[in-house]
Amino acid sequence: MALSCLTRALRSLTLSQPTLLSSQAPVAHLKLGALVPSTVSQCRGFLITASLKQNRRNWKQMDKYTIRPIGMKKTGGRDHTGKIRTRGIGGGHKQRYRWVDFQRLRYEPNKEDQPFEEKVVEVRYDPCRSADIALIAGGNRKRWIIATEKMQAGDIIKTSGVIERMAVSANEGDAYPLGALPVGTLVNNLEIQPGRGSEYIRAAGTSGILLRKVNGTAIVQLPSKQQVQVLETCMVTVGRVSNIDHNKRIIGKAGRNRWLGIRPSSGLWKRKGGWAGRKIKPLPPMKSYINLPLISAN
Amino acid sequence: MIPEATRYLKATVSLFSPNIFLNASKLSAHGAPSSLQTRRNLRVSHCLAAKVPPPKKPREKVEIPGLEMVTYGDRMHYVPGLAKPVYPPWEMSFKDPRYYRSPPAQEMALYKDKPCYIFNQRTSILEGVRQAAWLTKTQVSPGLLPHLISLAAKPENQLPDQDERVQNAIKHSRFWDTTEPRPRKERYSNTLLLNLLHLCASLQPTHPAVGRRILAENYSLAATWKRGEDLFQIRGRNGLLHCSMDPLPRICGEQEVLETSDWVLESFYPVSPTIDLQQVSVYKEEMNYTGESPPGFPEMELSWSSSNHLSPIGSGFRGEYPYPHAHTLYFLETSDPNCKLRPEQFRAKMIMFTFGNALARAHKLYGTQPQSLLECPITVQAVGTNGRIFQFLVFQLNTTDLSGDDGIKNQAWLDEDVELYDFAKVRPFIKRKEVKVPAGLAGYKPETFSKFLALYLHGAA
Repeated sequence: MALSCLTRALRSLTLSQPTLLSSQAPVAHLKLGALVPSTVSQCRGFLITASLKQNRRNWKQMDKYTIRPIGMKKTGGRDHTGKIRTRGIGGGHKQRYRWVDFQRLRYEPNKEDQPFEEKVVEVRYDPCRSADIALIAGGNRKRWIIATEKMQAGDIIKTSGVIERMAVSANEGDAYPLGALPVGTLVNNLEIQPGRGSEYIRAAGTSGILLRKVNGTAIVQLPSKQQVQVLETCMVTVGRVSNIDHNKRIIGKAGRNRWLGIRPSSGLWKRKGGWAGRKIKPLPPMKSYINLPLISAN
Repeated sequence: MIPEATRYLKATVSLFSPNIFLNASKLSAHGAPSSLQTRRNLRVSHCLAAKVPPPKKPREKVEIPGLEMVTYGDRMHYVPGLAKPVYPPWEMSFKDPRYYRSPPAQEMALYKDKPCYIFNQRTSILEGVRQAAWLTKTQVSPGLLPHLISLAAKPENQLPDQDERVQNAIKHSRFWDTTEPRPRKERYSNTLLLNLLHLCASLQPTHPAVGRRILAENYSLAATWKRGEDLFQIRGRNGLLHCSMDPLPRICGEQEVLETSDWVLESFYPVSPTIDLQQVSVYKEEMNYTGESPPGFPEMELSWSSSNHLSPIGSGFRGEYPYPHAHTLYFLETSDPNCKLRPEQFRAKMIMFTFGNALARAHKLYGTQPQSLLECPITVQAVGTNGRIFQFLVFQLNTTDLSGDDGIKNQAWLDEDVELYDFAKVRPFIKRKEVKVPAGLAGYKPETFSKFLALYLHGAA
């Protein structure tokens, strides 16, 4: 479609020139010959900035999981049009993306539905996030996961999808469904729908608390003190996320911020509005991520 | 209509209005607009770079079986309302090797349901020596046997001016072998190995059996064995193979061989022993050979990609090759940036390839049926180096019955991380105006070369 637009536009371009330069019209006519149709076609406009080479997001489209670090393209806060959408991002040290597997309960192809154990091979720094990542190996595969606080190389961690009647006394780093854990455990890497992959409580040093378990659902307090109700089959890992002193670090100089890819904010003094200042508000209501069956009118 | 869109359309229509000839400078020579540049028409007072709408997903095509779609294929031109004709993919009528696409794995002739785990020369296994020992059912003992080391202590087995000549060899490989300031690692490790081999071979007048050997470079290896329920294969090309007309004598007595059956293989649960091995479904069974690839055959690179098929290569040393017994394998560190082997993985690779050579020989002598005790165990040696640090390995194959975990095991004696010299600096290492390490060769250790020589002369002295 883009090509047909372009050709139509080009055709109209070449047609318009003989009509404008009327003095040279017979010459132009002769030059263009029989290719000139009688009418000038109207062409709908089109943007010539087609996908620029810098906008490629090919590195995100890999389908096969790999532990090899993937070369990343920095966006600088620019979106697909090329304009800045988020200020203050740009520059910084080059980073390679290590593909972290957030779905902890991922069975190997032939070993479905059995709790399995994996061994921690190494725990290392990840430039793409505040937490540390751990390379774990189990069976025939290796993958990266978010490391918990006391994870060391050589540990054995367990992942189980089974909910038993008695609550399991979980070790740090193990992953269980919420229904299998005792109330009051510190958890991280929470998924709000079973099988979705963890999207909450992944930052360095954070942990949620399992508050209560109510027939088939569990209520977890997130680090922002917001409470969330999810199904009890959602997987969660036990313990605090690694790198707990991340919030106590001192940047020290502007240069270190630039190494992290944070550009300086605008120095213009602006009057602060109603958004600024300490706010003391009641907690927002509990958010529920359970799709209850609809009660039909009939 | 959206005001933005109207503005956009107006702007673009004005682009093609009589103002266009003023944009002639932006047009390239053949009259088409230069691509990939925003065309800014400064005569217009509104913004031209409008927001690009997000890409629309194409309409889902619904396939109703039994319903024939009326296409515009017969009419030879597009008709709105009729379906797009679907033609079978075009295939060339003749076979052109430049445009050959291999069929998917399931349709290949050698496809098998049961996968095979392949160890190739670029494999870096997670657990290193322990995993290699499990895969080959081997008991690995640290340190070489004393009667081997004493072989080099005898005066008739030593070179005249041995230390000086070895130091000259090191200096040649590390300092003198290049026009650049410093030779690169793969170059100096290769030259050092060849120099040391040359020194050892200079003993041929006094040890005639040395002359009954030959060096083979870039030889291909294939060996198959079964471990438990899984099929394993070793395939690959290696560094140097020293083959000889006579087999190596056995190192370990019968009694110790029978004692190995009491030794239990280390398990590394939860990691499976097949981790990091290439899993293929298309393979040729019962490949057992060692040898050079046929002339003119392209270099076979076994890749890590998801292609799970492996094409079988030609035959190895054909039938009546005069040097059938593998004596020593020499391993160097590859210059391939994708496979950098840590010392543990390098030693594991040594064990696997030594085992592969021994197994291929055993299959040739005794047949492919697993045998729990070979009456004449096959011994193969290996030396691996990175230019400074050497790893010595002696492997004795006692059994080809590798399916169970119990029974007689093979034996390996591994001497790890033996340094030949401490430093060979081109420029002295100076810290705070003190020379910590002088330039030139420093910290030469003569015992390492005597071990090297002992392994070389084993079977000849």
